[in-house]
Amino acid sequence: MVSQQPNIPKGYVAKCARCNHVFCKSITSKPNKIFALALAALLVCIPAFLFPLVSIHLLGITEQTNLLQGAIMMIDIAPVVSFVVLFCAVVAPTLLTICIVFSSACMMFKKRPWLLNYVLKLTSIIIHWSMLEVYLVSFMVAVFKLTSYAELYFNSGLYFLVGFLILNMTMISEYDNAQNWKYLLNE
Amino acid sequence: MNKPLIAGISAIRQGRQLCRICERHSSINDNQECCPYCGSPISPRIKNSQQKTWALLFTAFIFIFPANLYPITYLLKNGTRYPDTIFSGIVSLLSSGMSGIAFIVFIASIVVPILKIVVLAFISLAVHFKWQFNPKKQLIAFTLVDWIGRWSVLDLFVISIMVAVFDKGNFLSVYPGIAATSFTVVVITTLFAAQSFDTRLIWDANTDAR
Repeated sequence: MVSQQPNIPKGYVAKCARCNHVFCKSITSKPNKIFALALAALLVCIPAFLFPLVSIHLLGITEQTNLLQGAIMMIDIAPVVSFVVLFCAVVAPTLLTICIVFSSACMMFKKRPWLLNYVLKLTSIIIHWSMLEVYLVSFMVAVFKLTSYAELYFNSGLYFLVGFLILNMTMISEYDNAQNWKYLLNE
Repeated sequence: MNKPLIAGISAIRQGRQLCRICERHSSINDNQECCPYCGSPISPRIKNSQQKTWALLFTAFIFIFPANLYPITYLLKNGTRYPDTIFSGIVSLLSSGMSGIAFIVFIASIVVPILKIVVLAFISLAVHFKWQFNPKKQLIAFTLVDWIGRWSVLDLFVISIMVAVFDKGNFLSVYPGIAATSFTVVVITTLFAAQSFDTRLIWDANTDAR
């Protein structure tokens, strides 16, 4: 249903009378703030994915494991599962962060490259597939399960992963796709 | 020259359509294929939304049986394989005193996929047969299952962590079973089914809804 865009006071949002979808915000996030968040997230994501999350002491051996390891180990046995895990936990959050770094940098430096159109389209698709928060809850579930089998020690990768999740969620809550399209279309 | 739109009346009745990518509206007659602003494919409603949703829901419905009946993981301990289905995993968690975790896994792995299929099928039927149910309540149900649907991926992530941790060859290792792939198909198809369903169809089907 068509809604009239109202003049709303600061701190308020306008929602569709039918579906409650927010279609207008009084405050728009500054691109440099989103750029800073996205850049920090991009830097943190490298150790979050590569550094060990947890060490496990089992059968007299202590071994470390990171986020990528399990998914890569499943490629031969269950490629579909492996692909979905890699996509939702690694590819989508990283790609989303790269897209937001690019679009916010374009806004910040007042550039409108031809690639921005595709980046904004990709952002609106990939934003639904970033599932870091689900991964972290899954990690907690796995840790609870594992405590009955072996001794566990948390490693630096976990702290980076939590940091990446916080930055990622803040970035998504601040990001406004409509604002970026307005900028690209010079409105 | 675009005519000013009248608030309170649907855009389709005023000959306009909304692009789901750039959120700009354009004339239905002048732009039948692509959005004039961003170039994305455009249509007043998602093309073949009902058909896509039904096809994906049927796929999910078929795969939910192997996902729940076959082993989702195998524990290899001293050369012996111990299969675990979703349900037996929950029972073993309960018997180990981890009722909270068992509850989370039960909700994410059994309740959510079934609930999602049932709710989406119900809303699709309501749209198809133009059942005059409260559209707002239908939308709330859709939003709820759409939001909780992503939490079904939890079980897949847990499997990937367990596979990485238990990797001691024949002594002790975990690897995914056939149900893991079936469960992945259920999760992905229900996520796509929700995405392909156009919620505006709920209001289109309710003739006297505001």
